[in-house]
Amino acid sequence: MGVEIDRRSIWLLLALRGLRPGFFLLVFGLFWYIVSLPVPDGLTPEAKNAIAVFLLCLILWVTNAIPLAITSILAVVLIPLTGVLPPKETYSLFGNEAVFFILGAFILAGAVMHSGLSNRIALIIMERFGSSPRSLLLSIFGLAAVLSFVMSEHAVAAMLFPIVLEIAKALRLRPGRSNYGKLLFLALAWGCVIGGVATFLGGARVPLAVGILKESTTETIGFLAYTVAVIPLVIVLLAVGAFVLTRVLSIDIESVESAHEVLQKRIHGMGKVGWSEYSVGTVLVLTIVCWMTLGTTVGLATVALASVVVLFIFRLVRWKDIEEYVNWGVILMYGGAIILGASLERSGAAGWLAEMAVGEWVTSPLTAIAFFSLVTLLLTEGISNAAVIAILLPVGLGLAGRFEMDPSLVTYSIAVPAGLAFCMPLATPANAIAVSSSYVSIGDMMKAGVIMSFTAWVVFNLVARFWWPIIGLGGIG
Amino acid sequence: MKTTYFDNPGSLKIDLMLRGIRVEESLADIEAVSGRAGPGIDIVLPKGTLVNVPFGEEFTEDSPYLLKKGKRGYVISGEDGSGKVSAKLVPLPAFYGRKTTTGKAFSDIATVHGSYVVITPSPRCEFFNTSVECRYCAGNFDIKGADDTVYSIDEVLETTEAVLKERASGIVYLSIGFSQGDDGGIEFLAPYVRAVKKHFNCLVAVEALPPKRNRWIDETYALGADSILYNLEIFDKELFEVICPGRAELIGRDRYIESLKYAASIFPSGTVASHLIVGLEPPGSTCMGIEFLTDMGVVPILPVYRPSHGRALRIEPLTTEIIIPVYRYLYKTVKKKSINMNWVGDISMVTTPIEGRLLTDEKGGFGSVVESFYKTRLGARAAWGLSTLRRKLRVKDADEPSERRSGG
Repeated sequence: MGVEIDRRSIWLLLALRGLRPGFFLLVFGLFWYIVSLPVPDGLTPEAKNAIAVFLLCLILWVTNAIPLAITSILAVVLIPLTGVLPPKETYSLFGNEAVFFILGAFILAGAVMHSGLSNRIALIIMERFGSSPRSLLLSIFGLAAVLSFVMSEHAVAAMLFPIVLEIAKALRLRPGRSNYGKLLFLALAWGCVIGGVATFLGGARVPLAVGILKESTTETIGFLAYTVAVIPLVIVLLAVGAFVLTRVLSIDIESVESAHEVLQKRIHGMGKVGWSEYSVGTVLVLTIVCWMTLGTTVGLATVALASVVVLFIFRLVRWKDIEEYVNWGVILMYGGAIILGASLERSGAAGWLAEMAVGEWVTSPLTAIAFFSLVTLLLTEGISNAAVIAILLPVGLGLAGRFEMDPSLVTYSIAVPAGLAFCMPLATPANAIAVSSSYVSIGDMMKAGVIMSFTAWVVFNLVARFWWPIIGLGGIG
Repeated sequence: MKTTYFDNPGSLKIDLMLRGIRVEESLADIEAVSGRAGPGIDIVLPKGTLVNVPFGEEFTEDSPYLLKKGKRGYVISGEDGSGKVSAKLVPLPAFYGRKTTTGKAFSDIATVHGSYVVITPSPRCEFFNTSVECRYCAGNFDIKGADDTVYSIDEVLETTEAVLKERASGIVYLSIGFSQGDDGGIEFLAPYVRAVKKHFNCLVAVEALPPKRNRWIDETYALGADSILYNLEIFDKELFEVICPGRAELIGRDRYIESLKYAASIFPSGTVASHLIVGLEPPGSTCMGIEFLTDMGVVPILPVYRPSHGRALRIEPLTTEIIIPVYRYLYKTVKKKSINMNWVGDISMVTTPIEGRLLTDEKGGFGSVVESFYKTRLGARAAWGLSTLRRKLRVKDADEPSERRSGG
């Protein structure tokens, strides 16, 4: 047991304790006030109540006053309670394809990690391509990115962290002093962040956004279509990231020989490739192929869950092995967010809200994309990227109709930048893990991250303007 | 004729503790009717002053005080009619005669000392019978042998229940002798403290040794201890090393002081205490100790050294006349430094700081109203409630992960 004793004045502590109930009283008071207001022109009572629930969740998500998942559950409770949607419809929205896709992806990633396959790949690549300080840095950066194409970026960061930490220690880099130490962990964080936006698998953000899109408009985005749309952004960001890491910031060591010894030792310790690594790897490859080819016809979730069943049929994993990899909180959070998004859209609240909130600034599809991508990039540094999507996407979808825009464009404009948090440790676990190493300070991360964030916004808008029309994503004029 | 102190119960308490009492022959069965806390009988003097008076020991044979049966109860009288006061014998707690379900006598596990009860789950002290043994015995240990008994949590709970049911005490003191380790004995006591706190709404004090690291003090507070005692016993540096060689060598006086200082920053005012034994060092040195400890926010508790056979360590002369100013100084110093005196209330074995008021010309005032309130059942509940609330506000689990703002 570890305890800390807060030695501040007892009166201050009492006051601070009182803040929480006071805050909730205020928030729920505001909610009640909105619910009891007369219905404004152009809104139905259901839409007004949906806005009240949305604002309540917005405050709770932004402040993190209660866990994100519990805020989502609150939304699930309040939507039928305030008459926005009937209970049956509300709960049926939870059984969304996106939620089951996320569940399947968690289990698959868990199986890959549990088998040791991902760890082995990471070690081998680093050992093989990391012959000099620069190439070791790039191999960590590239590896983190590539692994984040097929696994949750959080899982990749958590998996690579101990290896990178060991490398830093083997090279005798001094935490907070060594430039190369900073670069190693920035490479890890940035690789995860950039790679995490490349596919549906880098995080549950994109499935969530697609889920909201589908429930709100019946349109969807395919696995391959998404990757094709964002791949130029990923490539450019990887190139810029590599340039910043190797040219802008100076490398202050000459040799990485001692790091190689660590990597070789670890590889040796793993033994030869086992049956479960081969088998799980095969299932993963086949699953990705099926997502690309059958995703739109049978559904991404169906493929994911079928793969999970296969894993268990062949006893490649046991339930208790993968239980720790399944983040039920995220699943609850996303289910609730999808319900909230759909209720805003179906009640007509989303369009009204978008008109009220951003109608004056957004005058064309391009400005809509620029606006939403910028707001998302800023918000995602401070609050959970899933919460950003849950807050902005219903509003964005409400606005899409005004310009007869393809709603998927707005979805891209929010879902992609939501994953591009480079500045703050709280924004994403990859950054938090890097800062927790003590090699990178928050200041270091912010200074370098600003360059990346600005680049990301510019490149994203250029991709939207020039690449999307080429691949047939229309509606940008 | 020897001086006696019948005019002031505070002074009389000190004198009785110092000189003991003789008992009229007709009261041969005195032990059967009085509560005994170690070698003595518990008596209530005027103004509700509780005292444990040595009797039947070698040094008490010269006492000028005689306990006898009067027409309306008991009387303490001086030699040649020099004075007398009425006195009440504290009856033996009923639970003393009972046993746990495992057959252990409650009286072996717990000893009542007025407003508090001492429970020693393991009477063992690793100093016992070694070259570094303390040159006195001020604790609650069976010095007749190195007792390896360890009472179970259930036995301690049964005992505590019996004590509280009878309202024999309001505070449960859990104590431990010296044991090797970084924790000062807290790791051993922790399950007992937790169990008592879980089952009963009572205050718990812990008498242990200073741990090597302060985190154990945090743990002690967090697990439910409302009060803590690290007994320095002797303030004078040289005398401390001579009289307490084990403590000096294995813990060190500096660590005692550091621990007390740190504990005073964690625990509420008046709940961190340390014994300074009166009679083992010059009164001036004790006064310096009082000043030093109260500067840190620690309450000094001043038991009078009772010489036992073969352990005549007492400084001489040691008279009530010499000691009274020390207790008066104790009261004034604790009061001046605004340290709460209500935690260390009626203790039969010791003149507490609050009893020091009897030795001054001060009238009760608001302080005595508060003191009286805390002696009531409602007051005891209030003290427990406030202590619990304070802990709830202050203790944070360091291992608790903060909400990670992760999304997809």
